[in-house]
Amino acid sequence: MAELTQYLLNGISQGCLYVLLASGLTILLGIMNVPNFAQGHLYMVAAYLGFYMVMSYSMNYWLALVLATFALGIIGLIVYFLVFYPVRNAPEVNLFVAAMALLMILEGGALYVFGTETKWFLVPWSRTVLSLGSLSLQLQRVIVIAGTTVVMLALWVFIKKTSLGAALEATAQHREGAMLCGIKVSRVSAMAFIIGTALAGIAGVLIGPAVLLEATMGMGPLLVAFSAIIFGGLGSIPGAVVGSLLLGVAESLTSGYISAKYSLAFVFAIMIVTLLFRPKGLFGKEVWRP
Amino acid sequence: MKHIASPHAAGWLLALAVAVLLPLFVGGYLTSILLLIAIYSIVAVSLNLLYGYTGQLSLGHSAFLGIGAYAFTLICVKLHLGFWPAFFGATAISGLFGFLIGIPALKLRGPYFILVTLGFAAIVGVIILAWTGLTGGANGLAGAPRPNPIPLPWGGRLAFDSLLNMYYFTLFFLMVIVFVCRRLVYSLIGRTFVAISHNENLAESLGIDTMRKKLLSFTISATFSGVAGALFASYNTVISPDIAYYARGMDLLSYLIVGGAGTMAGPVIGTFVMMAIPEGLQIVPTLRTLINGVILLVFLIFLPTGIGGGFKTLLPRLGRSSKSGMERNGVA
Repeated sequence: MAELTQYLLNGISQGCLYVLLASGLTILLGIMNVPNFAQGHLYMVAAYLGFYMVMSYSMNYWLALVLATFALGIIGLIVYFLVFYPVRNAPEVNLFVAAMALLMILEGGALYVFGTETKWFLVPWSRTVLSLGSLSLQLQRVIVIAGTTVVMLALWVFIKKTSLGAALEATAQHREGAMLCGIKVSRVSAMAFIIGTALAGIAGVLIGPAVLLEATMGMGPLLVAFSAIIFGGLGSIPGAVVGSLLLGVAESLTSGYISAKYSLAFVFAIMIVTLLFRPKGLFGKEVWRP
Repeated sequence: MKHIASPHAAGWLLALAVAVLLPLFVGGYLTSILLLIAIYSIVAVSLNLLYGYTGQLSLGHSAFLGIGAYAFTLICVKLHLGFWPAFFGATAISGLFGFLIGIPALKLRGPYFILVTLGFAAIVGVIILAWTGLTGGANGLAGAPRPNPIPLPWGGRLAFDSLLNMYYFTLFFLMVIVFVCRRLVYSLIGRTFVAISHNENLAESLGIDTMRKKLLSFTISATFSGVAGALFASYNTVISPDIAYYARGMDLLSYLIVGGAGTMAGPVIGTFVMMAIPEGLQIVPTLRTLINGVILLVFLIFLPTGIGGGFKTLLPRLGRSSKSGMERNGVA
């Protein structure tokens, strides 16, 4: 029983990474209809940025978290204007290929700049482990859970309570309708990119100290986050959150009881089964028909 | 005669002549690059059949390349069979995997299909790394043989120990596969593929069993990629999980799109250009994915139909302008 609870806890803290990635992906999907394959690699870039700020420039961790988030927001804006804006009117498939090109650029650039060897992102509390009864969790993992909760609440307040958030939601619901209401859709799209990549930025610096850093670290989480979106139902952020947490727990249980090597394969099998038997996902209202 | 004299046929013959003669004048290193270009061209051509002509974008072809290479080596090493049984076995296994993955994956459209193929590639990579008992894990597998020597009718044997002969052997398969694809695309089946790529719902309403046709295209494509995998294993004699790395599937797609998806020569031109440029400029291997991504993006923005598509729109225009020029002269 204690073992099971421990796995559930691990799964939730792992699921928080997927929550941050999947909510960013959902925003981009809603606004631009782009499955941003590069989201995981943006998370990797953020983790490295945090690593260099903290380890090489001995910056305060929390300052690094804020700075890296801003940096990723700016990168998101650049990416929007350099990569996605020029192909916005092209056939849909070109958008996927553009996202793929971005992934290749980020991965190749990271391999060149950051090197191929794995790195440890150390913070002062890296070795601190909190325990409660038989349960134990790295302090950094607790920070991940707390940080994700705060970020998701802030995102909810932003979308539901501010006019900018309302414009975002309106554009996601109906692009032409939003235009008719006087919403500047291209500005909203740029904002969506800033928010989406900033979420990846937060994810990178939050999770970075809990994992090993390497140039390909983003691919596995990206696939799981996509699976979570499909599993939870496309287009809804609550669906993405629940799907991410469930898949995080599923991953933790498979690696605990079966084998850690194959956990990605299990998660992906869940996605394929969902697509085949319930393509609208657990909470989705309709199938995404681009 | 008219057919042979067409600019297309002339272009193919010229390219073939260059491909045959070039290795005689360059060193062994460049020949090995040409050999790799030929192998990846095979995958790009097979990807073109699926994406360029049937409209299904797959990021999973690195998996079929890997399955072909590993199946070939395993049949040789574990079952102690010769080159040809292993070659055909590996090709069939690769095709079978394509068929089995295609059944669930092709029910999905657009981004869903792309995601499933990407996931398939990632899973195959994970399994090759994790199943150390079968695949040797990160250490890879050694012992894939070169093709058996072929006895020549006038006595003597054609052996494949030398790099040059292995290159011609690979080039032969590239030619066969390009030829088969060409015949296929211009057949009735190929026309239905193209119809599906234009509008799947419309094709279905015309009575085309789109699922079966897509599955056929996917299986053929996977089979041809398996040929490339087996050839790679035979040439390199050692394989590692590197061959099935998911980013290779993206590199291959970038070759196809830069060369021009949906044109016959596109995948070969694209693979040649994208692999020859970093070689010519002596670019560090780690930078190649970056450069590929940048080139792909530039093409996507400025010439989304690729080099082949660019020629397609440019050539008739040139022809027309020169003809109208002659007409003007005639009138004058």
